Amino acid sequence: MVEISSDVIRGYNDTMILSILMKAPSYGYEISKQIRSISDEKYVIKETTLYSAFTRMEKNGYIESFTADPDPEGKGKKRTYYRITEAGLAYYKEKCEEWDLTKEVVERFIDAGATQS
Amino acid sequence: METIKSYLEAMFASMPNTTEVRKAKSELLQMMEDKYNELIADGQSENAAVGTVISEFGNLDELADDLGLKEAVEEAKGKEVEAPRRHVILEEVQDFLSCRTKKALFLALGVLLCIISPTLPIMFDAGNLENVGAAMMFVVVALGVGSIVFSSFLDADWKFLEKELCRIDINTANYVKEKRKSFESVRALCITIGVVLCVICWVPCIVSPGNIGPIMLFVLVGIGVFLIVYANKISSGFDMLMRLNDVETISGNYIMPEQKPVKYKNKTAETIVAVYWPTVTCLYLIISFLTFQWHLTWIIWPIAGVAHRAVVINCREDEF
Repeated sequence: MVEISSDVIRGYNDTMILSILMKAPSYGYEISKQIRSISDEKYVIKETTLYSAFTRMEKNGYIESFTADPDPEGKGKKRTYYRITEAGLAYYKEKCEEWDLTKEVVERFIDAGATQS
Repeated sequence: METIKSYLEAMFASMPNTTEVRKAKSELLQMMEDKYNELIADGQSENAAVGTVISEFGNLDELADDLGLKEAVEEAKGKEVEAPRRHVILEEVQDFLSCRTKKALFLALGVLLCIISPTLPIMFDAGNLENVGAAMMFVVVALGVGSIVFSSFLDADWKFLEKELCRIDINTANYVKEKRKSFESVRALCITIGVVLCVICWVPCIVSPGNIGPIMLFVLVGIGVFLIVYANKISSGFDMLMRLNDVETISGNYIMPEQKPVKYKNKTAETIVAVYWPTVTCLYLIISFLTFQWHLTWIIWPIAGVAHRAVVINCREDEF
């Protein structure tokens, strides 16, 4: 079975996380669960990848962290939540355009390969 | 869950002991814990859940890059070379702890003897025996001082722990941590009984006539102080060992809980905690001087002590 190579997807982890945070602020495990379900279980993000994306994007000002309780009644343990910033939104749009371009270029070669064989 | 914790601990063993690393560790643990709990809730066996969590953890190298930890790791390694630390092994630590217990016993015993020494002149108060009482008091004081001096020689071999740079490995640190945790309840008991004895020491003076009251006063205070000194001496031995590892050692997260900076909810909360004891002291003195009921006003202290706990819990930011 073909698996996603972590080298290829690395540049787009930020995009996935930001797209999830655009809907609502969320925390570590919740985000990784959403990535798994949105990708139809085809991509499982590693904990270390996720956390290093958080620290990197927080340093760049794309996301902000705060602590909150996932349980609405306030009975659970607090988690570090992240929310997207204005800069993060702009970065997300930029990354989307970049992806469109990348996809377009790469696909030309993929198609070329398919017709040849 | 314990397996996951030790796995994480082992992964981080080569990282320096900085705030960023500790934060990374606690965040990663939280994510792993969430995943583990959900897998268990989905009906997976414990082993399968641990396996999944660990296989999906990733590796720390990419994290080290993003956190700027590569430099930190190099730096810590460099420091290790510059100032070689003496590695204290588990057997040494065990010897030190048993020696510490002996030292605590002799020190506390010495203090006890000095405190109860005035009871002898009181006991021999009657007739011509006054001199005998005084002489015996000095003998007991001498024994007490001797015991204290002896206790200070007991750990002479271990002075290097304070003077030299030392470190302990993860297993040893875990051992000390466990020992410290199991001693914590003994210590709490000793200190509580000790304080209670000191507080109620004047009770015999009221209920029983004659010499018994004063004698009991010294004995109660003596035993109270004995318990406090003994417990504190042993527990400070654990703290000393835990402090051997610091930011510059590469030995994971073994900072003592008390050393973690305390966070308060806001500036006001911080101020309240800071002025709490001075305010109580002022209140105690004002009330006592106004009423002159010193035999009653001491009750402020135990009440303030209990209230302090409540105040601190409410003012502190919850740990996450």
